[in-house]
Amino acid sequence: MAVAWIGNREALIERAAAHAASLLSSSRCPVFSFDTDIDGTRAAIALAERAGAAYDHADGAALARETALFTDKGAMTVAPGETRRRADVVVIVGELPRIHHGLVGELAGTVPDLSTVNQRAFFVVGPNGMSVPPLNGGREATRLSCGQASLAATLAALRAQYKGRRTSQPVSNFNDFAKALAAARFPVFLFSGHAAEGLALEMLQGLIADLNRNSRASGLHLPANENGWGSTLASAWMTGFPLRTGFARGFPEFDPWRCDVARMIAAGEADLHLRISAATAQPKEKKRRMALIALTKTQEPVAGAAVTIAIGEAGLDHDAVVYSSRTGSLRSTEAQAASQLPSAATIIRLIATHAFAEPLPC
Amino acid sequence: MLTKIAGGDIIDPVNGRLGKGDLWIKDDKIVPAPAGGAADRTIEASGCIVMAGAIDIHSHIGGGNVNTARLLLPEQHAAHQLRPAMTPLSNAGWSTFQTGCLYAKMGFTTVVEPAMSPGAALHTHLELADIPIIDKATLAILGNDDFLLSMIRDDAPSTMIEDYVAWTVASTRALGVKVINAGAAAAFKENVRTFSLDDVVPSYGVSSRKIVKTLQAAVDSLGLPHPLHVHCNNLGSPGSADTAAATIAAADGLPLHLAHLQFYGYGTEGKRGFSSAAARLAELVNATPEVTIDIGQVMFGQTVTVSSDVMRQFSARGSAHPKKTVIHDGDGNGGGIVPYSYGKDFYGTMQWAIGLELFLLIDDPWRVFFTTDHPNGAPFTAYPALFELLMSREARAEMTAGLSRSALALSTLAAIDREYTFEEIAIMTRAAPAKLLGLTDRGHLGAGATADIAVYRRDRSIAKMLGRAAYVFKDGDLVVQDGEIIHYRWGKALRLKPPVDKAMVRRLEDYHQQRYGLSLDWFNFPDSAIAREQPFGEVPCRT
Ligand SMILES: [Zn+2]
Repeated sequence: MAVAWIGNREALIERAAAHAASLLSSSRCPVFSFDTDIDGTRAAIALAERAGAAYDHADGAALARETALFTDKGAMTVAPGETRRRADVVVIVGELPRIHHGLVGELAGTVPDLSTVNQRAFFVVGPNGMSVPPLNGGREATRLSCGQASLAATLAALRAQYKGRRTSQPVSNFNDFAKALAAARFPVFLFSGHAAEGLALEMLQGLIADLNRNSRASGLHLPANENGWGSTLASAWMTGFPLRTGFARGFPEFDPWRCDVARMIAAGEADLHLRISAATAQPKEKKRRMALIALTKTQEPVAGAAVTIAIGEAGLDHDAVVYSSRTGSLRSTEAQAASQLPSAATIIRLIATHAFAEPLPC
Repeated sequence: MLTKIAGGDIIDPVNGRLGKGDLWIKDDKIVPAPAGGAADRTIEASGCIVMAGAIDIHSHIGGGNVNTARLLLPEQHAAHQLRPAMTPLSNAGWSTFQTGCLYAKMGFTTVVEPAMSPGAALHTHLELADIPIIDKATLAILGNDDFLLSMIRDDAPSTMIEDYVAWTVASTRALGVKVINAGAAAAFKENVRTFSLDDVVPSYGVSSRKIVKTLQAAVDSLGLPHPLHVHCNNLGSPGSADTAAATIAAADGLPLHLAHLQFYGYGTEGKRGFSSAAARLAELVNATPEVTIDIGQVMFGQTVTVSSDVMRQFSARGSAHPKKTVIHDGDGNGGGIVPYSYGKDFYGTMQWAIGLELFLLIDDPWRVFFTTDHPNGAPFTAYPALFELLMSREARAEMTAGLSRSALALSTLAAIDREYTFEEIAIMTRAAPAKLLGLTDRGHLGAGATADIAVYRRDRSIAKMLGRAAYVFKDGDLVVQDGEIIHYRWGKALRLKPPVDKAMVRRLEDYHQQRYGLSLDWFNFPDSAIAREQPFGEVPCRT
């Protein structure tokens, strides 16, 4: 089975890695995008330093909104385990990524064992028609909406009404919500940057801060992408900064606009794109004057790529450490169907050995 | 390889070796002078002092809360200079890579991260594994977790509690146990806003004192070398000296370590109701031989407070500078990140003076430990300046000139003449930490010791001398020369491996299944999850 290609032609993996290395060495403005485990992230960032590259998650926009909440405003957050054990009121804030629907169902199917109130009420904030994860047993969450107003506007109205202020358009079912909050010991708001704008995330934190003046409440961060949040954490410890950091000047600089890799590609700034993701790339229009190096789980060359090397999927083809939103931390997983496919980190390190004398630090 | 460090002033209080002489290294160990042996390499150390590598027992260098602080404050740690070829990512401000390099340059070879949340053990060890050169270790946090509080409430036998503590230490690969504002994080989840030693956690009916005493006893009977490491209640409040005094008294003959005592050195005198109680606390420590403390010295400037004392951090939100914070309710403790700038005003001066008073009034350098509670009192990069303050009255006098007089008037600092000697520094930063942590292989320069060695060229400026080591050896590798990293390597995380009771594992499996809907596998990890060749080094328990 072929595992590496230069252009459309099969190649030995060493040759493909060497070719990728030479493209990287001659690149003026390389960019990396990835969707990978912790080891893959570490290797990619170490290579980015050597190559002077900017790096981002493969689908970085939603993560960037979550990151901005932390870098710009801060937050009150709670662990998923404590949410399960304490939350007597659960508020789903905006549309949640599908990966978290199971957790919501589980919350609906259990009661908080560390609360004197052995039940959970569910609310959902967002415009009518917004999709809501199914709750167990056909239960329904009480809708808090201002018609078609945006999530941020709805949260602003909710916050104003909670403070006893008038709002131009009242939030539906507000009295039920106010009653539930008054009785609640530990309400938890589930949030994600998936569909929520930055302003909505900020407004939600304002509401949580208001609630904490006299009682307790917090927010459960359910990342738009688990690998993406794992990479954000690894990036923070390795460089001091989250994703969208670049090494163009030899040292790490965090700039969520300038180092937005999708933007750099679209604007024609990048002349080389190293894409690392077991998931097959979406076919995008090919950029002239930009070489693509694709590390992906594939049996054929990626269309338009200068180099394609097959990698395994973390946790499936090989053991891995990944972020888990069920524990709110990193987790070690065993390969579910161990295969010979190399990990992303292995290939990144192989490319590095061809491009640089010193081995990567990780 | 045989290395000779020739003609330095050797300062090795453990082995009673003080004065000019040679030190020999074979591979990774210190060896006796070989009979007629010729060195493969000779390091000229005349005009230098030679000490064991320094050990920091309490510095927040990695793990969930530290990393959240990085996320919160990208503006606080911009990287500046171009990267040096030998040291990847070491110019990345506040990165793990920089942490290892900066510590090594000062001659530190082992650093303890004192606040590992058990649920984030894998994350913490992954971060530590990316700290180059030095060895690391962690203390696992217990005392706000439902499993322990429930056992105490239900009068579980002490052996069962010990089994749980042993499992926690073994599965998280910790070197000891820390309790942080015992019971307060659990109480805060039930909307309690202040919590003292004899306050009771709602729903459990268990007092903070009871939690501390239970853990202290478990740590002692398990033979964990490091005594229970206690972060007391009421950190930072005026009058917190009473809490610290009560906690010292509660040691009651068994070993107990109190972290960052400076943050509890506060009385309520003066018109602001905030004064130094350092002299009183120092006297208590002097009179209580089973108690050890570290200082948590404050130095002036911008920093960030990173603490698993979530209740305290929540109440400190208003003082955040810049105005942004993270408050996290975790499975046990959680934590809070509050950026803060220590000014040379009344309060900042008071805190600075109290830390120095404690350093200088506690007589026994074997029982007082050198920390800034990095980054809470100051980043560890302030160590060279702090050494100078401890070793030079003149440096202290110079510094006080620009500080708040009304604060200094409420402290005894000006009246203290003591200057630490190099021998006392060697005890406080080498010998005593090794003893406190049970690391018999380091902290001294005797034959058989691990070759962790710091050589400093004498200089009129103590800060300059101790800030840039002339030579540093880690495990016999020459890693620093003239204050620069010359060799990159990977240290280990030192850990205990107490035996784990199978019945306890079954109980915990049931508990996690029932309460979290998850198998224990979600929290366990194999050593291979840490992508380094030998990520851990085992330290034996007391027998
Ligand atoms: Zn601390």
